[in-house]
Amino acid sequence: MLSLIIRRSRSRFINGTKIRTCILSSSNSLSEADSVLVSRRSFNSTPSSSYFGKINRNHVSTTRSLSSEAVAVASTCDGLTVERIIANQWPILDESESDWKSHAAAISQSIQVIKRRLQWKKLLVRLKVLSAELNKPDLWNDPNHAGKISREHGSLTGKMKGVMTFERELLEHIDMLKLAKEENDSELESETLKALIDMRRVSKEKELEALLSAENDTCSCYIEVQAGAGGTESNDWASMVMEMYKTWAQRRKFSVTVVDEAPGEIAGIKRATIKVNGEYAYGYAKAEVGVHRLVRISPFDSGKRRHTSFAAVAVIPILGDGSTRVQINESDLRIERFRSGGAGGQHANTTDSAVRIIHIPTGITATCQNERSQHMNKASAMAVLQSRLDQLEMARQTAMNAQHTQSLTEISWGNQIRTYVLHPYRMVKDLRTNYEVTDPDSVLEGDLDGFILSFLSSSLDKDDPGH
Amino acid sequence: MIRIFPSLRFTPLLSAAKPFCSSSPTREPQQYASCVEAKTAPVPNSLSITPKTPLFLRTPSHATSLSEVWKWHDWAKDLASSVEESSKNSEDSLDPVILHRELKWLIEDSIIDDPLVILHRSEIADGGEKNVKLRASLAELYDLWRQRIEKRRPFQYVVGCEHWRDLVLCVEEGVLIPRPETELIVEMVEELVTSDEQYKKGCWADLGTGSGAIAIGIAKVLGSHGRVIATDLSPVAIAVAGHNVHRYGLQGMVELREGSWFEPLKDLEGQLVGLVSNPPYIPSDDIPGLQAEVGRHEPKLALDGGFDGTDSLLHICHGASRMLKCGGFFVFETNGEKQSKMIVDYMMTNDLKDYFSDLKIVSDFAGINRFVTGFRL
Ligand SMILES: C[S@@+](CC[C@H](N)C(=O)[O-])C[C@H]1O[C@@H](n2cnc3c(N)ncnc32)[C@H](O)[C@@H]1O
Repeated sequence: MLSLIIRRSRSRFINGTKIRTCILSSSNSLSEADSVLVSRRSFNSTPSSSYFGKINRNHVSTTRSLSSEAVAVASTCDGLTVERIIANQWPILDESESDWKSHAAAISQSIQVIKRRLQWKKLLVRLKVLSAELNKPDLWNDPNHAGKISREHGSLTGKMKGVMTFERELLEHIDMLKLAKEENDSELESETLKALIDMRRVSKEKELEALLSAENDTCSCYIEVQAGAGGTESNDWASMVMEMYKTWAQRRKFSVTVVDEAPGEIAGIKRATIKVNGEYAYGYAKAEVGVHRLVRISPFDSGKRRHTSFAAVAVIPILGDGSTRVQINESDLRIERFRSGGAGGQHANTTDSAVRIIHIPTGITATCQNERSQHMNKASAMAVLQSRLDQLEMARQTAMNAQHTQSLTEISWGNQIRTYVLHPYRMVKDLRTNYEVTDPDSVLEGDLDGFILSFLSSSLDKDDPGH
Repeated sequence: MIRIFPSLRFTPLLSAAKPFCSSSPTREPQQYASCVEAKTAPVPNSLSITPKTPLFLRTPSHATSLSEVWKWHDWAKDLASSVEESSKNSEDSLDPVILHRELKWLIEDSIIDDPLVILHRSEIADGGEKNVKLRASLAELYDLWRQRIEKRRPFQYVVGCEHWRDLVLCVEEGVLIPRPETELIVEMVEELVTSDEQYKKGCWADLGTGSGAIAIGIAKVLGSHGRVIATDLSPVAIAVAGHNVHRYGLQGMVELREGSWFEPLKDLEGQLVGLVSNPPYIPSDDIPGLQAEVGRHEPKLALDGGFDGTDSLLHICHGASRMLKCGGFFVFETNGEKQSKMIVDYMMTNDLKDYFSDLKIVSDFAGINRFVTGFRL
């Protein structure tokens, strides 16, 4: 195997002169006996140039190992890898304990979790496929496809490099720490220890980030709530659910606009769509797709009986400009005035200019009524329609790739994901994760992150056989 | 009667009065003006009319305590909800759902701070002490909302503007509030000029421009070479349209001329590449039964189309044969099924039958056959 990796490379200046460098070794010679280890201290008058030189070579070697299919396994000078650290089962103590083994074990575990969440093995396989595609000479004959491939390649490479760099950093710190101990350099030792603690904190954030690493997770989205059967009580529940998302989104500093809202006859809503703008809005909100069930004494029932009602939630990503979107044919659309009737034109003065757009081939519709002109309502409804069609197309492709079977566009009333009980006891429980809290009010006021994160981690963590 | 409108207030360049699409010699605009003076002396001059400033453009000079604003908002919401019981059975009634939406827009137009401080007060702890800056006094806001509900004053007159396409147009009593249907006229023109660039270069006319809606919409789709002449008989309409043209910085492209239909356009005979109009088309007999917002508040001059509603339309059809050049495009708005068919029949027979081609009836989003379009042969 030709590819070279840097087993370790670390430069460090103390008073600008102390440099330690580990040298290149071939990636298939991981055992300590095989590896060429050159460790030296030198006094170099221009440390920075050699430092950056190393960085560059480092970068080059990573790229090469990528394209030549080798998955480089990083290790310390004495052959310690993340897997071995985990296998060693060093006890993980509190962060405040200055035990490097504990830090290393915690960070290694995080790296393992991150890899699992990124579906590491699938990711590497996918990268291989994409690299092969990118190397085809006729790739750019279809610029659309080529763009898509190279974007996906770029984003996956970024994710992979991120983890590998983090991993290498850990091992370098361990090397450094051992060196410091060897040479009784207590300043270096405490600095390295501090660096490890920092890494430990960052690794927790990275674990969370890895929860949101699927293709469209960074997108903004639409959230849609539809009341189940049952009239006013159900309509009221649907509007409570919608309020819950509005406040959740505002707390997360997403901006919220109401696109479409069909009020119930007496109270609440029959259906509503909001647009949630912000990075990762879709990544989080997609965890809410499904049917939400409420049990309470209905304030609308004069007999004060207990009622069960349902509200269905759908979430649609708004794809970025970069992604390929479904081409919509003007001639496939039928545009209708939403609340028509009467002679219209000069006869009627109304501020209601809602329109409904119907995509005839698929029967998918979109409505908007909250803008102040018909033109803007139409534009806004078109945007919703576009996203719905995009989602349908994604679902079609995913079904083709046979990864997931359930399409988000179809909310089946059987797909209950969470129960909110206000009477006879108080509890909200997620049926998918069994995550539960005993304070429904806080949940209804938008405190949803616990549910969302536990769902995202459980769905990713069980998904991967690789680790 | 004719009054050319070389308003220095809206068209700083007098050259704008000299149509660049005209290749034949034209008389000086002043000549028209002078021959009109004699006949129409009592007509108020549009130059002396100052359009009202819509709410959203006023200075937010009214510092008001948030708790007082909340009180007003509660009152306004209750008033909006109360219409339900009072007018449920009548044909021409207010819809509380729409009123609540209008109330939200009224707030958006009157406040400089985030409207959410009013709409979502639950999220603001002890905010009542805070002051917000309003563009109208609270007393006026009470009055405006009462006018909306009790007097059935159209919401657009209440706030002084109408959102139409991507425009915000100033409107006031005396000027028709542009309708959503009419947006499609601009859409049709846009479609035409994108498929054939020739239409971007020539001169267009909008007859009975009202707030200037269609003329401004067309000027924007024509791009930098566009030129639109907009006419109206109503001095208030001309003044308001001029104000709107000015607000969109289109003085160089849209020229306003006061007068009846084609009279102010005599210098352009046979030269227009496009002619659009939404003339009054409601049959006189229907006027008394109109929806309160329309019948009680909008100008009759903008609505009443004579016995069967087609007086102006027929007049304009004739004019179109004279004013359009070969290949010139026209679109007229009509009262719907009966009228659009009648106009097409009229244009295909009688003395107009050899002038037009590709006559088409186009429906609006409610499915009503609203427009007649065609080309000059
Ligand atoms: C239905 S409104 C249309 C206004 C505007 N174009 C719109 O679509 O919102 C008809 C307009 O025609 C104007 N009008 C009525 N009689 C006219 C006449 N004889 N000559 C020119 N304009 C006239 C009215 O003042 C009014 O502004």
